[in-house]
Amino acid sequence: MPIQKIETDVLVIGGGGAGFRAAIAARERGVRALLVSKGPLARCGASPMAGADFTLDGASMNGLGRDGDTNDSMDKCFNDIVTQGWFLNNQKLVRHYVETAPRLLKDLMDYGIDIKLSDQRMIFFSGLHLMDILLKKARSVGVDLLEDVMVLELLRRDGGVTGALCLGIRTGEFIAVSCRAVVMASGGWHKAFWPNTGMRDLSGEGMAMAQRAGATLGNMEFITFCCNIMYEPPMWRGSLAPYMLGLIAGGRLCNRKGEEFLKQYDPSVVKTGTSTEWNKSFISMASMKEVRAGNGFENGGVHFDRGEVSWDLMKMIATFIFPDWKYKAIDLSEWGRMLEAGEPIEVGPAVEYFDGGIIVNDRFESGVPGLYAAGECCLGAFGSNRVFSAITEMLVQGLTAGENAAAFAGGSAQVAPDASLVNALVHAAEAPLAGKGNISPARARRIIQERAHAQLGPVRNGNELSDFIAFLERVRANELGSLTAASPGRIYNKEWIDALELGNMVQLLEVSARCALARTESRGVHFREDCPVTDNDAWLKESTATIGDGGFDIGSRAATVTSMSPPGGKVPYLDMMKRMMESHSDTGGKH
Amino acid sequence: MNGDSIRVKVFRFDPSRDREPYYSDYSVPFEKGMSAMDALDYIYQNLDGGIAYYDHAGCSLGICARCTGRVNGKPGLICQTAVEGDIVLEPVNKDKVIKDLVTRRGG
Ligand SMILES: Cc1cc2nc3c(=O)[nH]c(=O)nc-3n(C[C@H](O)[C@H](O)[C@H](O)COP(=O)(O)OP(=O)(O)OC[C@H]3O[C@@H](n4cnc5c(N)ncnc54)[C@H](O)[C@@H]3O)c2cc1C
Ligand code: FES
Repeated sequence: MPIQKIETDVLVIGGGGAGFRAAIAARERGVRALLVSKGPLARCGASPMAGADFTLDGASMNGLGRDGDTNDSMDKCFNDIVTQGWFLNNQKLVRHYVETAPRLLKDLMDYGIDIKLSDQRMIFFSGLHLMDILLKKARSVGVDLLEDVMVLELLRRDGGVTGALCLGIRTGEFIAVSCRAVVMASGGWHKAFWPNTGMRDLSGEGMAMAQRAGATLGNMEFITFCCNIMYEPPMWRGSLAPYMLGLIAGGRLCNRKGEEFLKQYDPSVVKTGTSTEWNKSFISMASMKEVRAGNGFENGGVHFDRGEVSWDLMKMIATFIFPDWKYKAIDLSEWGRMLEAGEPIEVGPAVEYFDGGIIVNDRFESGVPGLYAAGECCLGAFGSNRVFSAITEMLVQGLTAGENAAAFAGGSAQVAPDASLVNALVHAAEAPLAGKGNISPARARRIIQERAHAQLGPVRNGNELSDFIAFLERVRANELGSLTAASPGRIYNKEWIDALELGNMVQLLEVSARCALARTESRGVHFREDCPVTDNDAWLKESTATIGDGGFDIGSRAATVTSMSPPGGKVPYLDMMKRMMESHSDTGGKH
Repeated sequence: MNGDSIRVKVFRFDPSRDREPYYSDYSVPFEKGMSAMDALDYIYQNLDGGIAYYDHAGCSLGICARCTGRVNGKPGLICQTAVEGDIVLEPVNKDKVIKDLVTRRGG
């Protein structure tokens, strides 16, 4: 089958907010920009799933005509992001976030964003609406767009990135793109876990191929699990609805013994850890502990109900967030009936956000010439725990990465794809179609996903991590080469896609588990029951992972500190969490 | 009905190989509160890896609106159509099929 060839200046991999913002920025700098999206335009990845909040300092909001807290400042935001991140943040990227965010808010307002509500520090709109606006803008400035096309591997020459090999999911055709610079904006790798929060396109190829091309991955052990995700009924599994309602209205969490298990914790940690987005790390950890102690329910979760909250109040808040008990196209009216009757629903943690990723500097360069990264796929501003806005992060980083990639592209030559390299990659990608092995990709995936949730979830320990790594090594040695699609057809062949994704997920899971095993402390969203202390003497370091001759090279490097000096000493995990919660600045607003 | 099975009949057509569309029949364990997408996921993972339905970038939560199809003749989102008994799954427009339940854009 002939391989289609496309030429551009800046290739953007990923059609979420980071990718769109990068492509717009590159195009506005006068170079050609091609955005390749694995799913349908503006309807894939995490971005359209988000609530979504855009968070910045209230004084800058005020300056743009919104009702922000004038007593707020960029320094206060900086302080809050760094303490929420337990001091593991790259402070250069935090500075970049707080200083660039006002410009992005102005852009969004210029693009005509419809703001649903706002508080002293944030505006709120729907992720779907944001994506529609970015798509419209991208079209108007002339970004070239490809949808339902999956990038399989980066093409390189002399160490630098010169293009990428892609597969059209609907056609089964290969496309070789040649370009002068690449912005990786491929988001997270939620699909490596079950349950997860929904999107089925996020399987981590971008991070994995960047690592294969020589980039370093950092802090891969830090994975944010959102708490209070619906585990039942199957049709709603993965939905954030109880998380949102619990955050605003409150409610009660119980284990199988009927105990309100949060009551065993420090009341002030519980207060901040249930009424702010600190809930993700705190409640996920607390719920998972119950489940691991045998106090969970059928689906591995806990029970959420209305508790002490009056039905009137609950109903008022719920129908404000979910008008007519509709959340997008989900009809939640049966849950409304259950809430009124005081009946519980089973909820629990599920992967929502990846704090680690491709290591970049504050120009969003990966260290591999021509390769930039932005958004959730890179190691961003949030250190070991994210409370602030990932939506803001993807936009500020997309902008800067796109601008810098355009400047780089302007000064570098176009290199035609190396035909023998492309042929070798195509040959490897077609292996699952040749039908030589006998392992079903979908079944293999499901087993891996469930194990990832159990052993690399919100509560970890050294023995289980070692066990998980040994399991992944066996999968790598015995299964990945034998994944086979039952049908050799090329058009929308689900098993083929699954097989191509799986190796990437196994790569990232192994990197993450190895970093989690190496980090013998608890910090942020990484909680080790066998090392329940935050070790500020030994572990104010980012984990690093590259591919070496004999496998992965796991190491570390000092966290990037500019203006806020980290504390020292060893502190019990929950005491450190309390200290970090109490370090919040004195401004209004939820974040 | 937990513990029981349902019959799921799925429209199949690969225009590059089949002369005519046909239907495949599967027996799927019933779970209370399952959607037609859950039934397809079960079939794909356990019974027939060759089946195609839109999910490579689906949200399964009624957000992306890309999983349209007919459940017992009625058009809707496959991931948010509750299943209570035997079902027939078909594409909304059989003339636009690229494979099984997946149709060309605009289909
Ligand atoms: C359910 C949910 C709700 C959330 N709510 C909020 C919120 O309210 N506020 C907030 O701040 N954050 C929220 N987040 C987090 C936030 O949405 C994400 O961090 C952010 O949208 C990531 O943007 P991105 O552009 O980096 O990646 P994504 O939006 O995930 O986009 C990644 C893109 O890359 C594409 N891609 C992946 N692999 C390939 C490949 N091989 N080839 C081509 N393309 C590829 C995908 O198809 C997709 O288009 C939420 C996350 C989830 C899951
Ligand atoms: S898969 Fe997204 S709406 Fe059904």
